[in-house]
Amino acid sequence: MNFTNIKLILAREVRDQLRDRRTLFMIAVLPLLLYPLLGMSFFQISQFVRQRATSVLVVGAENLPKQPPLIENGRFAKGLFPGKNGEKLLELHFPSDEPGPDGKTPEQPAAARQAVQSGEYDAALYFPESFDEELETSRQALRQEQSEGKVDLPQPQIFYTTASEKSQIAFARLNEVLSQWREQVLQSQLKASGLSPSVAKPFSVQPADVADQTAYRGAALWAKLLPVLLLLWALTGAFYPAVDLCAGEKERGTLETLLSSPAERTEIVLGKLLTIMAFSMITAVLNLMAIGLTAWLVLARMENFALPPLLSVVWLGLALVPISALFSALCLALAAFARSTKEGQYYLVPVLLVTMPLAILPMAPGVELNLGNSLVPVTGLVLLLRSLLEGNYWLAAQYSPVVVAVTLAACLLAIRWAVDQFNSESVLFREGERLDMWLWLRHLRRDRQPTPTVAAAVFCGVLILVVRFFMGFAVQPTADFAGFARVTAMTQLVVIAMPALLMTLLFTSSPRRALRLHMPGILTIPAAMLLAVLLHPTVGALQGVVMELYPLSDEVREALQATQELFLAAPLWQVVLLIAVTPAICEELAFRGFILTGLQRMGNKWRAIIYSAIFFGLAHAILQQSLIASLVGVVIGFLAVQTGSLWPGVAYHLVHNSMPLLLVQLTPETLERWPVLGSLLVLKDGGYEFHRPVVILSALAAALLLGWFGTRRPRT
Amino acid sequence: MIEVDQLTKHYADLRRGHFAALDGISFRAEPGQIYGLLGPNGAGKTTALRILSTLLRPTSGTARVNGFDVVEQPSEVRHQLGFVSVNTAVYDRMTGWEMVEYFGRLYGIEPEPLRERMENLFDRLQMNELRDQLGGKMSTGMKQKVSIARAIVHDPPLVIFDEATAGLDVLVARALLQTVAELRDHGKCILFSTHIMREAEKLCDRVAIIHRGRILAEGTLEQLREQYGEPDLEELFFQLISRHEAAVHA
Repeated sequence: MNFTNIKLILAREVRDQLRDRRTLFMIAVLPLLLYPLLGMSFFQISQFVRQRATSVLVVGAENLPKQPPLIENGRFAKGLFPGKNGEKLLELHFPSDEPGPDGKTPEQPAAARQAVQSGEYDAALYFPESFDEELETSRQALRQEQSEGKVDLPQPQIFYTTASEKSQIAFARLNEVLSQWREQVLQSQLKASGLSPSVAKPFSVQPADVADQTAYRGAALWAKLLPVLLLLWALTGAFYPAVDLCAGEKERGTLETLLSSPAERTEIVLGKLLTIMAFSMITAVLNLMAIGLTAWLVLARMENFALPPLLSVVWLGLALVPISALFSALCLALAAFARSTKEGQYYLVPVLLVTMPLAILPMAPGVELNLGNSLVPVTGLVLLLRSLLEGNYWLAAQYSPVVVAVTLAACLLAIRWAVDQFNSESVLFREGERLDMWLWLRHLRRDRQPTPTVAAAVFCGVLILVVRFFMGFAVQPTADFAGFARVTAMTQLVVIAMPALLMTLLFTSSPRRALRLHMPGILTIPAAMLLAVLLHPTVGALQGVVMELYPLSDEVREALQATQELFLAAPLWQVVLLIAVTPAICEELAFRGFILTGLQRMGNKWRAIIYSAIFFGLAHAILQQSLIASLVGVVIGFLAVQTGSLWPGVAYHLVHNSMPLLLVQLTPETLERWPVLGSLLVLKDGGYEFHRPVVILSALAAALLLGWFGTRRPRT
Repeated sequence: MIEVDQLTKHYADLRRGHFAALDGISFRAEPGQIYGLLGPNGAGKTTALRILSTLLRPTSGTARVNGFDVVEQPSEVRHQLGFVSVNTAVYDRMTGWEMVEYFGRLYGIEPEPLRERMENLFDRLQMNELRDQLGGKMSTGMKQKVSIARAIVHDPPLVIFDEATAGLDVLVARALLQTVAELRDHGKCILFSTHIMREAEKLCDRVAIIHRGRILAEGTLEQLREQYGEPDLEELFFQLISRHEAAVHA
């Protein structure tokens, strides 16, 4: 690799972008104008909403007692509303029709309700007739110490509607005024009965914010907001230059010029990647600066807001480098695929749809940095950043190695993908062909090859996952074994096996090769079964570790418990048929048959095995199962590739799934009768556990056996 | 020198299924010679030239440029040649000078010698007025000049012109042909693809007529005229292609 070339390409691309008015506008001008404008309008709108008066109809005001006063001169009495001139926020109206000579109008509550329903008033307040008299009666009763008898006061009512925001605001204000007034009434009642006012309030709670000592004020808000904004702008800043640098060059015809120059593809990719990264970082920095400036000018004037401290800038800056690298590489690869800038811009929404949930998920309340989260790209980084911004340095230090490793791995993968794209002729010289659905399907059928293509394999995997996802909602298993069996069998046959079989028949010319149905070497089948037995203790131990790291939720645990009980109650042969035999055939046909065979056309055996194993893992319903299944998928994939046949994998899968079903049948009596078994494992709360030396020795033996499989070559 | 031997290139295509853009072509071109690739659109000329400039990899067969294999030593091959095609545009937001300088630097020429060579080149191609003009503001002819300067800034022994006169007006096309002839006189090996017979007649020392990925006839213009008894190249070209079409459809 020639670093001078990378530098040359970087310098040219940066200059090129800086000469582009659109880019400059997006990265420099927009943020400088956008945030001050947003901040200003936000500030003004919030002022406007707060100052706006709401109108309230007061019905039955004549039933109010004279002391303490609630309404004075057509407004609520001063002091009932907190804040200066608060009482002006509630505009009071009184029914114009005069009450009858006796002061009673029986339709009054109905009138109040009607006034709010019709939208004439935001809320209505109704005092029932003789409210004042009853209040006075209760006061008298208290004075005469007859308080044992419960005094039944008529209830005032507030009419409002949740269908209107303004009505809700009016309700909140009314509520506040009325509780203040009730407090005053209470005080006067207490005074009348000769009790100290402190009887009603034996103590009060004193809140104290200690944020100044641990973090800064408003940390919770900024810690959630800033990482997401950083991600969003790093992505936007990367996207537009990426499209211009790849799809734009293709469109203008300069890409071929560049490719025929002595610069290597890797140098071109790195030069472009660094350019995109630079713009991604500049965009993010400028936007954060503009936000900071706006916040400093506008938000600082509002209560309960504080600016983040300078240290947070350091954390944001540190995190920006890997974030930009990751997004830049992703955008570069996608943009290289696009034929034109127009097509490139279509890809922005899918990119946002995939990355934004990863960034926004950590904003959900209660999501904390832990091992599980830190393994997820982007999410881990956002959570790490949040802990740093909140001042949780110890937590951050604990998980930063994991997050850094995951982020680096994701970056390298994305860069690798971008380089692959630039090495692919079909991507660089994609012709603008009109897509004709019918023609395309005919092409798939007419030009089918003995084995599936990579695209067909990926499509099959995705199809299985999607159908499975919807099946999970559409079909709920019944609580008996027959119902459970029906659902499981249907999932295996219809959702997993059928797509693979149909695609094999439609789009490949040799089902035998596509599904690896050749007979393997005769020894490989017993060897695969032995391998499953030998690996069983290791898999069990791994399962223990996974459950420790990511404990099952109680709900899932209960469901699994219930299933377990169904199994124990049903005849063993039926359970084995359902849980071991059916999946061993159906899942192998799909994942090691069609999908792995197709993926192997990528040319890299391990990549194919790992991708097929991930599909296999994802097809399992529970996350914890998925992790283990992915590992098992790697082992079975290896067997399938080395032997060139599906059958050793089927044998392995069969034994793997049967082992727990058989071992769970063990009772203390059987262990006594067969002391050999007792020396291998112990029974433990409804399950079993292997002794540690057994785990280690069997794992070593399994490794040897895997080595033997490694020397096998598939028959051609 | 160019040696192409049994070169094939296959594509998957929606309409035609698997199809061979190149179906085993072989030819040799020597220094000081303009070798013409003649063929209608879609004959496989561009595919062949893209393989020679290492943009595409052949499905089978070999191609060597000055002894360097296009598959095994792509970097060396790129140093040996300059590539001008309808598809090799100039950058919109770069001046003529910057564009040529950029590629000169990518070819590994040090700044000082590069400047000297560029001064020379800009004089020779009469493009001094393009020095500070942005690519986006240039006419097609100006762009073509910059493209040629870009392709020969490193003084390569081989220069490839792929339909280089397409879209040029008569004056500019004539100037381009003159430049190509001058390059030959400087001892360069030139590969010149076109579908315009007049250009080939005027310029080429040797031609290959390509159709549907195959070479139908090859030799000097004199040889071809003698062999097929047809003095007019365009007539000859048309006859060869219709005969081949008839054979294919028969």
